[in-house]
Amino acid sequence: METPRYLTRNFGNPGALAHEGYVKSGGYQALKKALGMKPADIIEEVKKGNLRGRGGAGFAAGVKWGFLPKDDGGPRYLAVNADEGEPGTFKDRALLEQDPHQLIEGIAITCFANGVHAAYVYVRGEFHKGRRTLEEALRQAYQAGVLGKKVMGSDFSLDVHLHPGAGAYICGEETALLESLEGKKGFPRLKPPFPAVKGLFGRPTIINNVETLSCVPHLISMGAEAWAALGCEKNGGTKLYCLSGQVRKPGLYELPHSTTLRQLVFEHGGGPRPGRSIKAVIPGGSSSPVLTEKEMDVRMDFDSLGKAGSMLGSAATMAIDDSTSMVRLLQNVSRFYAHESCGQCTPCREGTHWMHKIIDRIAEGRGQADDLDRLLDICDNMAGKTICVLADAAVFPVQSFLRKFRAEFEEYIRKGRKMSLVGWTEEMPEAPTAAGIH
Amino acid sequence: MSYVSPEMRAKFDEITGRYPRRQAAVIPLLHLVQEAHGSLPAEAQREVAEYLGIPAVKVQEVVSFYSMFTEKPRGRHHLMVCRTLSCALGGCQEVSATVERVLGIRHGQVTADGMFSVEEVECLAACDMGPVMQVGDTLHGHLDAGKTEALIEELKKR
Ligand SMILES: Cc1cc2nc3c(=O)[nH]c(=O)nc-3n(C[C@H](O)[C@H](O)[C@H](O)COP(=O)(O)O)c2cc1C
Ligand code: FES
Repeated sequence: METPRYLTRNFGNPGALAHEGYVKSGGYQALKKALGMKPADIIEEVKKGNLRGRGGAGFAAGVKWGFLPKDDGGPRYLAVNADEGEPGTFKDRALLEQDPHQLIEGIAITCFANGVHAAYVYVRGEFHKGRRTLEEALRQAYQAGVLGKKVMGSDFSLDVHLHPGAGAYICGEETALLESLEGKKGFPRLKPPFPAVKGLFGRPTIINNVETLSCVPHLISMGAEAWAALGCEKNGGTKLYCLSGQVRKPGLYELPHSTTLRQLVFEHGGGPRPGRSIKAVIPGGSSSPVLTEKEMDVRMDFDSLGKAGSMLGSAATMAIDDSTSMVRLLQNVSRFYAHESCGQCTPCREGTHWMHKIIDRIAEGRGQADDLDRLLDICDNMAGKTICVLADAAVFPVQSFLRKFRAEFEEYIRKGRKMSLVGWTEEMPEAPTAAGIH
Repeated sequence: MSYVSPEMRAKFDEITGRYPRRQAAVIPLLHLVQEAHGSLPAEAQREVAEYLGIPAVKVQEVVSFYSMFTEKPRGRHHLMVCRTLSCALGGCQEVSATVERVLGIRHGQVTADGMFSVEEVECLAACDMGPVMQVGDTLHGHLDAGKTEALIEELKKR
């Protein structure tokens, strides 16, 4: 059965990039509806629709909005997280480039519901096209009276500004993003105080992901019940899944939240490439613990994957086939975190580098007998010991790779140089993706 | 030499007006200067600091923290080759190696004629088309050695 498309309904329809075309496709009707509702009722609706944050943590959007303190007359802000950088994730760039008005509509409804009159969209620096597309859409939205002094003729006023990043994975972390928005280097802040109380420029601030906000118009226009029914328990709506890696049909899939990992990879993604078999899957971005092929009958919602010992995260699903060495793969992942640690907290700055060094030497055939225990020790000294959770994100793959594929690591250590030079290639001579991982 | 022309200053004013604190504009302003001049030497940073009324060291910190900013000029075509997970699963090392072989420079360097520079970068959010490379504003996907070489030849003509 073909799933109805909501978030991606305008993909491939360049007409909808313009305000007029977006309106023709039914756009800005949800905003109109929302402007006729009580703000508190909109928040209630979003809570009932079980809209979970799609930036990584899966926190219920309506609940987060409820944390804003009572209006004290001063400014309060919405910061839109368009810094998409979690390895394997490519949904927010698509939403920016293919349906910017959908995002603007979601922003406007969210701001109206929360008494916010200024929003900043923090767009990843490398997203030149997304930035230009959103800039033009914002210009048209102002011109059409969707933004500015009287939003669609109401008494509500709203300014939406675009703010570019400049290349730093850590700025996707919400408090680092706020620092960056204030013109500083992206060092995460200690919590509490939480951004809802003291966020951007010291004022109450909501931070939401691009996809989360893009869901809002659909939830409001169809109503909470219908939106909730598209997904499963506590996970409302459809979800964008980013499928990449060693499958036949990588791509962006909008599917019910209740889709299983196996369905995503085998039915939608077409399964492994010819002559290969799926060995493992990283379900939700490089920090989410790896699952084996046997564990793939799990629903791709935040809670089910959590119970299975992994995370939905940013729904960046990476399929790994039998041609790939898990040691080489972890070498790549650990390099990423060592490179992206902002360096503020010692356990993370030092720990990510030590881990990478050790995995590097194992992969290069110079591993020592106690290296695996040493790695797990380092993990224990990092997780939960830092200001933000980048350290935990770096630890999860190491722990899960070692738990589920320990034998591969031990083999590398035992066979030493011989292994890394000839081992895998000898056994699997025509591995098509040899570079990098093999 | 002045890095901030009167026209650019007008843009600065407009951007700075979006924020309740002037310092917040530092990243967008640095992007404008770098786009116009190709890099952000100390003098350019000082001018931005002066415009915003903040200490020069605050601007320096930002320039050194964010990977897109550079104090030294890059090549006319700056090749950003993704080296992260999904692209690695698709064989991105072949792309990197081809770039280095064809141009005779390593990651982080600029060719002698100033035409090309190469940088290995992290996930460019185009993982379904991996291995990918971004050149300027444009993403190139599904690369292998042959396509990489052809792309470089094509860029040489521009
Ligand atoms: C290291 C790190 C990187 C993150 N990167 C992103 C990102 O690129 N985009 C994003 O939306 N959230 C990212 N997050 C999650 C944000 O901190 C935050 O939870 C999210 O933007 C909240 O929006 P949501 O509730 O709508 O998901 C990251 C978190 C961490 C710890
Ligand atoms: S891993 Fe290369 S674009 Fe995402």
